[in-house]
Amino acid sequence: MAVIRAFAELDAAPCTGCKLCDLVCPSGAITMVAKKAVIDDPLCIGCGRCVDRCPEDIMWMTERAEPITRTVRPDEVDQEKVTALLLAAGIDANISVCVCTLTSAAEIAGAVVKGASNLDEVSAMTGMRSGCGIYCVAPALRLLAAAGCDMTAPRGHRWYPSTLALWDVSDEARAKYPDAFIDEDRAVFDPTHQFGPLTHSEAPR
Amino acid sequence: MSSHTSALMPPAFMPSEYGPALRPHVATMPSMTSVSVRELFPSFAEPLTQGDPADVDRVRAATRAALADVDMSKIGAGDSVNILASEHGFGLMGGLPYAEMVKTIREVVIERTGCRDVRLRLAIYRGFKEAEEVRDHFGFAEAFEGKVKGLGPFDRGVEVETAIGPMWLVNRAFDADHFIHAYYDDPREMYFNRLLYKSFKSFCMSYARFETRSVYHSMFGNRSGSIIPRALFDSDFVQSKYTFSSVLRTSPAGVTEIDATDDLYAIDRRITASHLATYGRMQRLFAEIEDCVAVWDGGRWGYYLHAGGVIFGVLLTNHHDSFDLDIPVVAGFMQVPGASVNFTRNKALRGIVVNQAWVGAGIPYVTMPFTSPMYIVGDEQGKLWRDDPTNPLLMDRATVVDTVEQGIEQALERGKTDKLMVFDGSYGHITCNEPMAALLREKAPAVDRMVQTELLPKWLAQRGLA
Repeated sequence: MAVIRAFAELDAAPCTGCKLCDLVCPSGAITMVAKKAVIDDPLCIGCGRCVDRCPEDIMWMTERAEPITRTVRPDEVDQEKVTALLLAAGIDANISVCVCTLTSAAEIAGAVVKGASNLDEVSAMTGMRSGCGIYCVAPALRLLAAAGCDMTAPRGHRWYPSTLALWDVSDEARAKYPDAFIDEDRAVFDPTHQFGPLTHSEAPR
Repeated sequence: MSSHTSALMPPAFMPSEYGPALRPHVATMPSMTSVSVRELFPSFAEPLTQGDPADVDRVRAATRAALADVDMSKIGAGDSVNILASEHGFGLMGGLPYAEMVKTIREVVIERTGCRDVRLRLAIYRGFKEAEEVRDHFGFAEAFEGKVKGLGPFDRGVEVETAIGPMWLVNRAFDADHFIHAYYDDPREMYFNRLLYKSFKSFCMSYARFETRSVYHSMFGNRSGSIIPRALFDSDFVQSKYTFSSVLRTSPAGVTEIDATDDLYAIDRRITASHLATYGRMQRLFAEIEDCVAVWDGGRWGYYLHAGGVIFGVLLTNHHDSFDLDIPVVAGFMQVPGASVNFTRNKALRGIVVNQAWVGAGIPYVTMPFTSPMYIVGDEQGKLWRDDPTNPLLMDRATVVDTVEQGIEQALERGKTDKLMVFDGSYGHITCNEPMAALLREKAPAVDRMVQTELLPKWLAQRGLA
């Protein structure tokens, strides 16, 4: 869950249409219309990344009159599907996928079950990536992949389909890096051997 | 008991739009003093520099000496070469030693190979304007004849096939015929990297897209994560462009030498052995502190501010021995089933006073004030933190105070402690108050013996270095 206190605005007149703000927006709130950035206010999760990125310094953050909350509550989605999705992805339900907003893996999985089909939509629904945007993306991408979502990278470089996890390391790679604690860490993090390499076909949605 | 001596001043740091207006250092307060790390641990070698601008010629000479035997035959006169530098190096001792090493690498490459197309690529984190700040502060535009570009985790990626699967690096880091890994060896988050192949970490962080950084942080454990940067470094793509590494070597006392060769694994073994002996002592000494307040008082993010060459994050997580690989998790996001939090806290840390530091802006401290009261000095800094989306809950718990003295007084009183340690970027000494100085001096001899006789042999053996 994220409480969003601000949204981005810009002075469109001097906008050069460079798209840099669009490329760093985590929630798909910015589109280019007639070579000008346009911000879809309700989608903005207040990260401020566009403001920092803008080379023209024509963007700014404005405090919302009332903070808005982005969350997917447990009672909104079928928790059996959430559990199955987390299992398919090999992700513990309780970890904080987004360490800035303390959004759990279970909530991210809930967003996917609810219908989010790409990283932007997960972010818009949960507020994930409104902070650093560094730690959370791989678990979210893996949950999307496990749900069978289209993982084709979007145009530009908004995100790339990285889904690698501890469970995917092959026997050959383990042999090449015998001191990498792969088996030891698998035993620690998955003592009941629930998790395995990413599977797509049986993922629920 | 020694009589009180005034504190030494920490190195000057780069002003930045990501931090507040510069304030007087806590070291100027009459109650502060300095404890020399070489007094605590006499085995630490005398450093080459602790960041004094007057020492740049020594860094330059050491870099030239280290590069003298490096094979540069891969670089042709008509080729292009990227020197890859990482942002944290510019936070070490004011950044001048690292900057001087980087500039000297360029000079030597040009002299030795005739190559003129030597570019600097400044890897930064989340602040998109940080590369320009570094470029201007350290005079890189002039030194590199304008061939300077920043790169960050949000820039266009390049897919790299590795032994463990495809991952994504930042294209701009590798948009030349060759690259040089210009690194520093600060162990930084030793609670995360565990000194397992730390010299390779840039390949999954500084030079990598955010997806790859997330895989490293979130999809592997502390120990197993070490496979990621190695797999990237060993990939055909990276090896096809790699020439050599040049590393600014440090101890808690300061810069010790420049280490350069094309064999990064060899450098890493040397660094690991040295760090276990030096930073290992400091880590265990910090673990002897049963109660204290910390002050952030430098020009980087709070986690990464140094006291005696050791970052604040080490104190924050020092309830475990970070170097003991029998402990599976010290900090991180993969967690043992049933554990309730990703980052547990060192209960000895009774409070944090923020005199000056870069606001979070990409570095989450969100749960820190849940367990350690935070005091932010000044309304200006309070506003910066309040507006920081990376730490949306922090100001719900932190307290804004008017002065650093007020913050320290409140933190000590609430924390029921009389000990204060200042993370102000210092190497070679720890800025602190007298009770902390007395404790460190009292505990150091036993720590010294314990590390030398018990822990160091174990740590080395766990890494195949005994």
